[in-house]
Amino acid sequence: MATEIAASPPPGAGDATSARTDAPAPPLRRIWNHYAVVKVRKALVVVFVVANVTFFLGRAMPGDPIDVMAGRLTQNGMTMEEARAVAMNSLAYDVDAPLHQQWWDFLVGLVTFDMGNTINRPGVSVMDAIGAYLPWTLFSIGVGTVIAVALGLALGMVMAYRRNQFLDHVLSVAASVLGAVPNYLIAMVLVVGGGMYLGWFNPIELRGTVSPGVQAGFNLEFIGDAFFHASLPILTYVLAIIGTWMLVMKASTTEVLSEDYVTVARARGLRDRRIAVAYVGRNAVLPLVAQIAISFGTLVGGAIFVEQVLVYKGVGGLLLDAVNYRDYPLLQGLLIIITSCVVAANLVADMLYSRLDPRIRD
Amino acid sequence: MTDHPAAPAAGKAPAGGPAEGALLSVRGVDVGYRTGRRTRVTAVRDVSFDLYPGQSMALVGESGCGKTTLGLGLLRLLPRTGVVSSGEILFRRKDGRLVDVRTLAREDLRRFRWNEAAMVFQGAMNAFNPVLRIEDHFLDTFRAHEGGRRRPRKEILEQSADLLTTVRLDPARVLGSFPHELSGGMRQRALIALALALKPQLLILDEPTTALDILTQRSIVERLAELRDELRFAMVFITHDLGLAAELADRVGTMYAGRMIETGTTRDIFYRARHPYTSALINSVPPVAGDLTVPQSLPGGPPSLTALPPGCSFAPRCAHAVDACSHTRPTLDVLRTRTEGLSHAAACLRTHELLEGATRD
Repeated sequence: MATEIAASPPPGAGDATSARTDAPAPPLRRIWNHYAVVKVRKALVVVFVVANVTFFLGRAMPGDPIDVMAGRLTQNGMTMEEARAVAMNSLAYDVDAPLHQQWWDFLVGLVTFDMGNTINRPGVSVMDAIGAYLPWTLFSIGVGTVIAVALGLALGMVMAYRRNQFLDHVLSVAASVLGAVPNYLIAMVLVVGGGMYLGWFNPIELRGTVSPGVQAGFNLEFIGDAFFHASLPILTYVLAIIGTWMLVMKASTTEVLSEDYVTVARARGLRDRRIAVAYVGRNAVLPLVAQIAISFGTLVGGAIFVEQVLVYKGVGGLLLDAVNYRDYPLLQGLLIIITSCVVAANLVADMLYSRLDPRIRD
Repeated sequence: MTDHPAAPAAGKAPAGGPAEGALLSVRGVDVGYRTGRRTRVTAVRDVSFDLYPGQSMALVGESGCGKTTLGLGLLRLLPRTGVVSSGEILFRRKDGRLVDVRTLAREDLRRFRWNEAAMVFQGAMNAFNPVLRIEDHFLDTFRAHEGGRRRPRKEILEQSADLLTTVRLDPARVLGSFPHELSGGMRQRALIALALALKPQLLILDEPTTALDILTQRSIVERLAELRDELRFAMVFITHDLGLAAELADRVGTMYAGRMIETGTTRDIFYRARHPYTSALINSVPPVAGDLTVPQSLPGGPPSLTALPPGCSFAPRCAHAVDACSHTRPTLDVLRTRTEGLSHAAACLRTHELLEGATRD
């Protein structure tokens, strides 16, 4: 810092030495790209590792698809031998293929994006089966997350601004209760309470993903119907995670409110709204960005129960079937794709973070 | 001084109001913090002083004596639990109107801040929003105080560049930088430039140079002194650094346990301190001028604000305390009358007896 004094004659000449010293103009952009590339590479490694874990974990479960199906057939009076023969004929699974052979096929499939056919639904490819169910899950969870996060952040901020006042106490209790109740229980309460006792809606009509006869397409009728059927799952997801978001945002905002730059902003006579948005809000949300992706991932896991309770034809039921009937390819495909979605959400959060916080850009 | 009716109407001179020509008249101000549902601690008690245009006053004292609380209280910037619980903070605005900062309505207070009185905070490390560029801080500040036509960005930035130049920063580099890209000294200068943006009449500086290395301190202090002579703003600066106070201030106020216990010109305080606490404070650092003596430390610390001694707050630590000190509270008595708030006054029962002992020439 000695230069600050020594070089005082030409104003500012010796100053500013420490600012952006190592930043020649064009590479800034390349560095940013590089940062993104590194993140994507890491994400791919994660997906690959998870994919291999699913492969071995599935096969580590007791019994294989033939055993499971044969087991069910013997309950109808077949002998074990007969049942096994029938199962082997009707299922597309070769029990005698050695594990390393199966693994090699799996790896090739992974690289070529061909996960093969399902075992229990002969002729249906894994990709088709997933493609028919996954969009509904992603849709309901995506909308639910967006609503819950937006509302939770807003309410959390209100709580922090009014901390220790009546509104804060009420919202804090509500948020803690919501955060503690498991999501499938919320779904049950919604159906039983709102649908049956209060009669606000007919839970039978709400089942499924679209009403019969409605054609898929980019039109108001279809979109409206999709939202109608997804309303209960979305509401469930919102209620399930909004409490946590409120409390986390309250804590984060409270911390930011005590920062010097907020006091200085008040001293500078800035308008309250400007301080709340650009000084408090933006800094309070920063550390939470990464959690949005985590929250999304947790919800995908929780969807299995919620979709069962609400009879919503998402990926939850499919996953349950795949586990129950040891449908290895389907199980693998599902887990890999769900993992990829969560990893992708994390990646987006990471990128967003680097855009929002100038301190981690380099 | 505490018997004024609360909330005098702005514009009218209240009973015993401001001294003629004063920029800031603080009258019997108490500042308290809420510590529990029904408990409160008074951090600043019955402080009164007049500050005249262009004057600079240093507030000195140990940590926890209420200096920062008083500074924040003057702009009503206290944290949520703090409040100016009594007294008046009368301020002569640029348009000549006299207002009591304590009773300003929300929007008036917002317009008052920075435009009439700005503040440079302790350790400007965190004074800037980390996600905004320095230029955005200038834009925000100007736009918050300019009604009507929205001035073009370019015009504001040119003005900001001029301000940065006055504190010897290179605007081309600093304006587009984020706060974390600047050094501590640069940030402190940028904050001073920002504080001068609206040409305030009063600048409150809360330990403006702590946490900076000694050379950076030097250059900032020098520049501050030049700017004050150039722009004629009044300053209240809070500091532990007695050398800085001696150099930059026209007058000094010593605070102890929330009270102003001695005020006077810088010469009064440094050469003819009349309160034993002020003397002890001065003797605890090497002299600013003259022969090097052995610094004497002052044992103990300020009393807890919740359990102040009934008499003089300093009595328990005072080498000259007599019985009377522990049950009679001394008042701030004027020892030598001068105009423009420069009178020498001290709050000590034994001021006259101790005259020789506390003198240091």
